[in-house]
This record gives sequence, structure tokens and C-alpha cells, in this order.
Amino acid sequence: MIPPNSYLYEMVRSELSWVVGDDHVQTGDSDKLGHSIDYYWVPEVWHDRGQKLPPPDFVVYPASAREVSEILKIANTHNIPVIPWGGGSGSQGGALPIYGGIVMDMKRMNKVLNIDPISMTATAETGINTQHLEWAIEKAGYSTMHFPASIACATLGGFIANRGTGVLSTKYGKIEDMVMTLEVVTPTGEIINTLPVPRHASGPDLTQLFLGSEGTLGVVTKATIKIHPIPESRKFHAFLFKTMHEAMVAGSKIMTSRLRPCVIRLYDEPETAKLIKRVLGIDKKGAYLVFGFDGPAKIVDLELEQACAICREKEHEDLGTEMGQAWWDHRYKFFYPPYMFHLPQAFGTLDTVATFANIEKVYWAMKNVVRENFPQAAFIGHFSHWYEWGCMLYARFIIEAPPQDPREAVALYNKIWDMAIRAAIKEGGVINEHHGVGLKLGRIMKELYGPAFKVLEDIKKTLDPNNIMNPGKMGFPSKGI
Amino acid sequence: MHIDKHLDVIAACRFCFMCRHLDPVGNVTFQESDTPRGRALILDTIRMKNESLKNRDFIATIYRCALSGANRCHCVSHYDEVGLVLAARKDIVEAGLAPENVKALAEKLSRATFTVRGKGNVLYYGDHPELYSGCKTLSGGDPGKALETLGFAGDSQKVFDRFKSAVTASKCTTLIVAEPSAYDFLKDKLDGIKVVHCSEHLLSGKWKARPVRKAFYLESDFLKNYDGNPAASRELLARCGYSLMPFGTNSEESYSVGEGAVVFDELDPELCEKLCRRVYDLADNLKTALFITPSRYVKATLAKYNSQIRIVSLEEAVAQRKDRK
Repeated sequence: MIPPNSYLYEMVRSELSWVVGDDHVQTGDSDKLGHSIDYYWVPEVWHDRGQKLPPPDFVVYPASAREVSEILKIANTHNIPVIPWGGGSGSQGGALPIYGGIVMDMKRMNKVLNIDPISMTATAETGINTQHLEWAIEKAGYSTMHFPASIACATLGGFIANRGTGVLSTKYGKIEDMVMTLEVVTPTGEIINTLPVPRHASGPDLTQLFLGSEGTLGVVTKATIKIHPIPESRKFHAFLFKTMHEAMVAGSKIMTSRLRPCVIRLYDEPETAKLIKRVLGIDKKGAYLVFGFDGPAKIVDLELEQACAICREKEHEDLGTEMGQAWWDHRYKFFYPPYMFHLPQAFGTLDTVATFANIEKVYWAMKNVVRENFPQAAFIGHFSHWYEWGCMLYARFIIEAPPQDPREAVALYNKIWDMAIRAAIKEGGVINEHHGVGLKLGRIMKELYGPAFKVLEDIKKTLDPNNIMNPGKMGFPSKGI
Repeated sequence: MHIDKHLDVIAACRFCFMCRHLDPVGNVTFQESDTPRGRALILDTIRMKNESLKNRDFIATIYRCALSGANRCHCVSHYDEVGLVLAARKDIVEAGLAPENVKALAEKLSRATFTVRGKGNVLYYGDHPELYSGCKTLSGGDPGKALETLGFAGDSQKVFDRFKSAVTASKCTTLIVAEPSAYDFLKDKLDGIKVVHCSEHLLSGKWKARPVRKAFYLESDFLKNYDGNPAASRELLARCGYSLMPFGTNSEESYSVGEGAVVFDELDPELCEKLCRRVYDLADNLKTALFITPSRYVKATLAKYNSQIRIVSLEEAVAQRKDRK
């Protein structure tokens, strides 16, 4: 933190104002408060319990890659941390200004620059809200097919920074599959472009290096992404299975038979009983499986029928298209208050991805750890992003009444993460699939990667010699306290 | 404190990002504090530590809110974030902390007086009496809504009492209200007189078939997001031969440039201009298209910062095709 009544503070403010204009350097308490809390449970509980949260020294709103570059040069000169901020809706603490410094809020860079109907791509500045982006693309007759629950909260840059995903990931991919090319400002202020197409044999793919780098390797300022035609048809179907395992067998067979659903989602028995009942009003015991297909109507009907036939091989209750469509219609409702978990509850999403051979082992390993060591915690989960080889487990622990003392509460919270994650890694799970690492999981990165993490550390040192970019995140070094 | 009556809203909104894409102010200032989450965080801080109410930056943020109902409409649980901000403004005013420009505006609005002229059982309150033959007309300033939105509840009541006296003295049985903010304020507040929006009254007339004319319809925040989105305005324009096209990229965002805050153009002209510029930027053909809005506030405000926009109020649009059967 820079003392606000210091010469340095005023010098830095003057330099920043010269680059972006006085109106775009905020130092007021309102904006500092908004930028000191993201969607991570720890700052939420600290705020709730009246604790002082580390605020940024400055919130700066650049309007161009050139301005981003100038800001980074200023930060290097004074050795001040820079924390890129998109929508602020990340759940991992990745955008928190833990050492103060400059929060670089990207939302002014919100233009759709080009829609290319020949190649079916769109280029936009990365501060654009993803719902605004989708609306703009839809107005032109296409879709990004990127429909995350946080579509209205997050920015394109936020998804790129965290390897985010959307509901239709099974067919249309995660953000790293959607991106064609990036414009990036490196930590030392160079403006670079990655190669214009994602399929090439011109060395390692720089685009993929910056995807998921969470603002630690530079600032992504522009992206070209794929866009898609609006499908002629999109249909859903839901089944109820007696056990999660039977539903998993059906779901994985749909994928390994190489049908092409746009979405599959499987809720374990406790989540079916709790959330599916509460949000969709389906009050049944068992594991709820829903899937959907989109595209030309004839192909959709054919694939849907094939998927239903696979489900009917096991004992099941056919909930039909209506109960599948209901899930699609209410897919975001789970995340609005009061349906979303909220304080005073303690809750965490143990987002993990693994192969079909391992995913149930990961589920049980985490569930057993939570059950045996934290009897006060409930464990629920669903499997929400499915690929040809495996799927993602969206497991959650919930404690109804965590300790009132914020330090005790956070210590308990971290303990659950530590034990559950290590149990998942041991069974072949990767933490995580689409929420990112941030502050929350940085301490696990070395264990997750093993000796390979040194490669990432060396890249970080080379690109960001002064460690100004989002220090203390993703397992990279802190700034020093 | 008044905000304590809205603890459910604070608890719901303080960590929720789900409607931030619809906050008209947040969409032009890009500031986290100019979203329902940002404001709820501020008011949560004030709830925990009442002294924080004196923070000038917090006060400025609360008065920067455009009071759009779009966020509340979007929320699946419809948490009343506008109600929370209005409660905060009352707390600020009652603590004597209202900014000077707000106080000056309130003082001006408090001086409103009302006059009734003409003959008839129906009373019209608006700018186009020529459309309402056989009606009495009521003229004057805002009936108290603007003061209410600024947090001056007592002064709002006094102005409303004067308005009510004028209405009562008219002995009319129906009050036709043109401005959506006034309609929203008055519709459930007056006893013994039926309050209707001007579109409902005009719709009861007979209209000649007219050649179709295309126009962009800029929804009123009040009619759409506060008052259940009655169909009368759109039906009326359709009967007058207008083919209405939706504006912008979506049906959720409010393009009413601060209408929810009633006097936003006077409260924060610089910010109001930014709201207008967003609307101009979203228009595909600003110079040639016709825009219709039910709100004279929206019309006047959008016309203020761009002389090329062709925008008329709903009543003006009707008047242009006036030849009734």
C-alpha cells in the first residue's frame, strides 16, 4: 500500500491521470470498497464480520492497449502491483488487491470491433460484459454460444484470464476453445498479438499461454472468438436414475459413443433432493440427468433419440422433454439470491475435472474426506461439463453455521479445501476446470504440477521481472509484506 | 435508519453480480460502486457502522444512482434495490447530509403550485390539452415524486397535499396523467378519483387507418419496470399507424436516461449526458430514425445533447396523426 498522504501517492496519481484522464483514476471509498471484494467467500465473510479489507490505492480505467501499456510502465517504474479487474465476479480471489496497488478495471474497453460473417468470428475488447457481447452478436444474427451462469456478471477478459466456460461447453467448448487470437500487453508494456489462427505448427501456442494466466503474465486487451449460427433446433430431455453411478454410466456412454450433446448435467442424490427440488420443483429421490442437443432439427431429433435409448438401458424414470426444458429455462436461477448459497453459510465449490475412469473416485474421495473430518459440512455435487474423455465435478461443501470469529471461520474453510483437494489430486483429479486458481488455490499449484511448475515460474520471471502483475496469485511469488 | 427496513435487499445484493449488466449508470461510468452490488456494499458498511453515512463519497454514489427498475425486474427474486437506495437517501436527508446541489434542487421543487382550468368531469395533467377536448387541465410542477426520489419525504408530502387539494377542488371523477413518473406516483395515492395514464384514455377514441410509419419505441422505465408494462401505449401507437421497433440489442436494458430519478438531468447533468451518449451510440441510424417515448423527460433529455435526434413524446406522436374518426 502507498500511504495516501505521501509524495509518492500524488506522483503516481498524477502519472496515471496523465495517461487516462482525471475521471478515470478513482481513489474514492465507494469504488475502493467495490474493488476489495470479489465473489470469493473469504472477503465476503471478512466484510460481513466488519473486518478491514485491503483496498487498492488506485482504480484505473484504461480505454486502449496503449493506455494499458503506459500504466504498466508506470507500475514498473515505481514497483507497484497491478491487478487487472474484469467483472470482479471470480470466486477464487484472483482479482483482489491483496497488496494494494493499481486495480486496472478493464470495463471501459467494451467495444465489439468486428464481426466477420465469412470466417464466423468476432473481435472485441476484453472489458466487454459477456451478456452485452452476446446481445451484440445476436443482433447480427449469430451467437457466441457462451452461456455461463456469470454471463451477466463477467467480462470477456475475465473468462480468458480464468479459462472460463459456459453451459454449452460440451459442444462449443470452453473459452480456450473459442478464442482464435489475442492482443496482450506484456508486464513490461509491449503490445503483442498471438498468431491469428489457433491451429498451426509454428511452435508452442502463445494464445494458450495467456489463457488462464489470471493477469499474472500480462493484460489481454483484445480477443477474436468464434461465433456460430443460431441453431434451427435445441431440445432437452431429463431422466432420473436410482443412483448417481447409474446416471454416470449413462452419461459417459452418451459421450463415448461420440454423440454430440451441447450439454449434459448430472446431479448427485443430495443435490437432486436439495437444489433440483428447490429451483425446478422436481421432488424426487435419485440422480437427475439432463442433456440437450442443438443444430439442424433432423439431426437433433436423431441424436436425442439415441441418447434417450442409452438412458433407457438402465433402470430409470423418464422425466421427458418438459423437465429437461425446465432446467434450461431456469439454468441461471440457481445462482440468484436466495437460491445461491449465502452467508452466514460457509460454502465452496470444489471444482475438479478428471477422466471417466477417475471421476467417481474423485467424487467419493472428496465426499469421504469432508464427511469424516467435517461432520458439520454437507457435501453435494453435480457433473456439469462433459467431454469425450471425462467430465467436471462441481462439488460443494456447505456449513450452515461456521464459527463467528472470522479467523476461525477462514481457517476451517481453508482446512476443508486443503484436505478435499489433496484427496482429489490423489485420485487423478485436476483442480480445477473453470473457476481458476487465484488466491484460493495458489498454495496447491506446486503439488498439482510437480516439477513442471518451475516452467511456469520461469515464464513468469521472464515476462514480469519486477513481479508487478497480480502478485501472490496462482502460486507465484508474493510481493513481500 | 430507513435502510434497516431493507436488510433482505442488502443481504441479497451485497455479494450478487447477476444484474450488474443492466445498471444504466454502471454501464457508462464502469465503476463497481455504480451497480446494485456496489451500492448494497456501501449501505451494508453504513448498516454496520452508522458513522459511515457521513462519507461524502458514499453519499455521492447513492445520489448517482438513476433508480432504474430494470435491475429489480431482471432479478428472479425481484429484490427492491431501488427501495433500498430511496431509503438511504431519506437517511441522508434526515441526517442533514444532503449535498448542496440536492438541497437546492429540493428547494426549487418544493415551491410547486397547481392550477386547474376549464370545464368537465375529467381532469388532464400534462402538456397536450389539445388532445383532450372537454377536459379540465391541471398545470404546475412535479406532484411530489421528484422530492420523494431525492429523499425529501416530508417536502414531497407537502407538495402532494397541494396537488391533491387542486384535484379535489376540481370535482372531477377521472384524472388523466401524461408523465409516467407522475402516473406511477399518483396511481395509488389519490382517493375518490380514477387515475389513468394518458394512453389508456386516448386508446378509447376511434382512429382512422393511417399509412404505416416505422419508429423506435423507447420504453419508459416507470411504465415498463415499475407499473407492470401496460400495453396501452404500444397499442395506441399501433392504432395510430406506427410500426414499433425495439431499440438497442435487448429488451431488458433501460434506455430512459435517468427517468427513474425524475430530475436526473438537473441532479447530475454530466452523468445524464453520458447516459444519452450511450443511447446515441446504440442507435443504428440516429439521423433518420424516428424515436417515440412515453416520457417528456426522456424526450427533452435525449434532445438536449444531440440536435439531430428525431424524438417525440407519445402524445406528440398521436397528435401528428390526430385525424380521429
